[in-house]
Amino acid sequence: MLQIRWHSRAGQGAVTGAKALADVMARTGKYVQAYSVYGAEKRGAPMTAYDKIDDNPILDHSKWMTPDYVLVIDPSLVFQEEIVDNTTDDTVFIVTSHMSKEDLLSIAKHLQGKKLYVIDAIKISQEEIGRAIPNTPMLGAFIKVSEIIPFEDFLVSIEDILSKFPKKIIEGNLRAIKRAYEEVK
Amino acid sequence: MAERYELKQKEVWDGNMAASHALRQAQVDVVAAYPITPSTPIVQNYAQFLADGYVDGEFVMVESEHSAMSACVGASAAGGRVATATSSQGYALMVEVLYQASGMRLPIVMTVVNRALASPLNIHGDHGDLYLGRDAGWIHLIANNPQEAYDMTLCAFKIAENEKVRLPVTTNQDGFLVSHTAQVVEPLDDDTAYKFIGDYKAMNPMLDTKNPQTYGAQTEEEWHFEFKASQHKALMESPAVIDEVFAEFEKLTGRKYNRVETYKLDDADVALVVMGSAYETAMVAVDKAREEGIKAGLIMPRSFRPFPYNEIAEKLKNVKAVAALDRSAPMGAMGALYNEVSGALAANGQSSIMTNYIYGLGGRDTTAQHILEVIKETEKNAKAGKRVTDLQGFINLRGPKLSFN
Amino acid sequence: MATPKEMMTTWDKIQPGAVLPSFEDPEKKIRSKFNSYNYKVADWRVEKPVFNRDLCIDCDFCWVSCPDSCFIVEEVENKRGKKQAKIVGINYNLCKGCAVCVEVCPTPIKSLLMFPEFVDNDEALKQWPKKD
Repeated sequence: MLQIRWHSRAGQGAVTGAKALADVMARTGKYVQAYSVYGAEKRGAPMTAYDKIDDNPILDHSKWMTPDYVLVIDPSLVFQEEIVDNTTDDTVFIVTSHMSKEDLLSIAKHLQGKKLYVIDAIKISQEEIGRAIPNTPMLGAFIKVSEIIPFEDFLVSIEDILSKFPKKIIEGNLRAIKRAYEEVK
Repeated sequence: MAERYELKQKEVWDGNMAASHALRQAQVDVVAAYPITPSTPIVQNYAQFLADGYVDGEFVMVESEHSAMSACVGASAAGGRVATATSSQGYALMVEVLYQASGMRLPIVMTVVNRALASPLNIHGDHGDLYLGRDAGWIHLIANNPQEAYDMTLCAFKIAENEKVRLPVTTNQDGFLVSHTAQVVEPLDDDTAYKFIGDYKAMNPMLDTKNPQTYGAQTEEEWHFEFKASQHKALMESPAVIDEVFAEFEKLTGRKYNRVETYKLDDADVALVVMGSAYETAMVAVDKAREEGIKAGLIMPRSFRPFPYNEIAEKLKNVKAVAALDRSAPMGAMGALYNEVSGALAANGQSSIMTNYIYGLGGRDTTAQHILEVIKETEKNAKAGKRVTDLQGFINLRGPKLSFN
Repeated sequence: MATPKEMMTTWDKIQPGAVLPSFEDPEKKIRSKFNSYNYKVADWRVEKPVFNRDLCIDCDFCWVSCPDSCFIVEEVENKRGKKQAKIVGINYNLCKGCAVCVEVCPTPIKSLLMFPEFVDNDEALKQWPKKD
């Protein structure tokens, strides 16, 4: 089973991102679970969201997991040591930051020795979507790093999932996803 | 005429979205609700469907859950298909009117998202509210995942409105663990779903002004007992209708539901009684136990009321030790599942060794590993042929071991 | 989870009734990491407003519009000896970066502009757009 944990602030779209990823994967015939751990949260409070993806129906309803991927979509949460909780040496971290990988590692010591990818999802979402909603660019980066499905297939699915939004927003999100796919390092 | 909603063969929905689509497809005449976490999205989505033209009925905004259920009682007595949703404190506030609804034999459907009862205040899932309403005269159906939340809600209308039943029904799903967990759901298309439920047939509608009716009249000792007995009889005889509806649903969808669900119970020495999302987590634990050579199985009442006494006793006939897992603070007794199952076994002259475990209060995480430990403890009873473990234990509770004998 | 281990009391040691002492010394009180006491709305900000004193006309629109009362105001005397409010800066502990102040700022070249959180304020002032 592939397990993914998102770290975000309430309002940045991690739940929407986790559900969108689940939706994309369900369209390839996989079984999915997407959920988040809720407190009595206000916008801006740190929170986590989760994806489980498997070939068989997912029966386990417990919240505990050892993530294969950790996606951090808020630049300040990268410095919280909680993001490495329950991870292994094989866990892949994709984090949002304007810094280079080297500069980031010199400050965020808990990420040293981890498989780390960096993407400036905040800047991309601001420039392409017009708002700091870094969830869709993170999806683009995740697809590049994980190679879980072909990027073209992903774009077709995500465009359909976003179809309830106005055309401008859909196009902005698609541009952001493509840019993140190219820019993740 | 309401617009049709285009659905894919497979949707990724959480339990709340699944329940609200089922309400939409039932084309409910009146939904009166006062939103409360974690069932808020059911009402919110439904209101959105209404605003977007997918629903013809009325949505009544009220000032409390007591009023929500009262408005449902009024609308149902007037002769319409009626539904609502609630959780926890809202459910508690409704309780007075729940008894009124069932006493007036009104086929209201309520999609409940189970949540702990305060105090201490907690928004997460446990069965405190379900147990609170268990004597209210309603039929209570249990859903373990979003697919079942959808399926049970469709079935609920058909069961409630059957002329042999005419009782209100709740469908229960665990707060957050099901209600906010998106999973793959295979919905029916709108026409098929509506055809399955059928048109609403009003009985003694108050809006039939040629035949004026009074609902909920005062009765006192000459009548009250007879009314309550006849209501109880309807509930006790509803299993026939529930089975019929489940059979018809299976024919339509291929998904088979039973009033008593079991997993690997046929050759089991050890059985766990679990209800809700933890039943599925327990399936993972049972598989692990069997890898270790423990013959474990699971059993769950799909209908918590009417409680399937004899069916459960029959299924547990060859089981040596049974642990009943209750997700509600038992407060001075054993958990409800322990009591019901023990009673069922005793009534049939069976003597499996019974123990009780309390788990997951206020949304406390219960993993397959926790349940595996319970299976191992219960196996000790099976092997010893008598109870060697404590009568009531607590799963994943922080602190020194707490148990009662 | 965000709760420190020393706060995870066991069932036998908890305060019955989930009662919390209201007047405990706030400095000594143990709180979970994400308790709102330790927590600024500013943490969420990804862009910040930068204030350019040289362009400001002290209309106070930003002060009125700010939902978090971030604008620091000094009382000064104007040329005629009358008391007047002067905007002197922004309290970045309170600002959540909503950009309402930038929206309402009426000067021909805005005296408030949004910059990425990590850009130094002096650097931001150097990048300020010029009149042409």
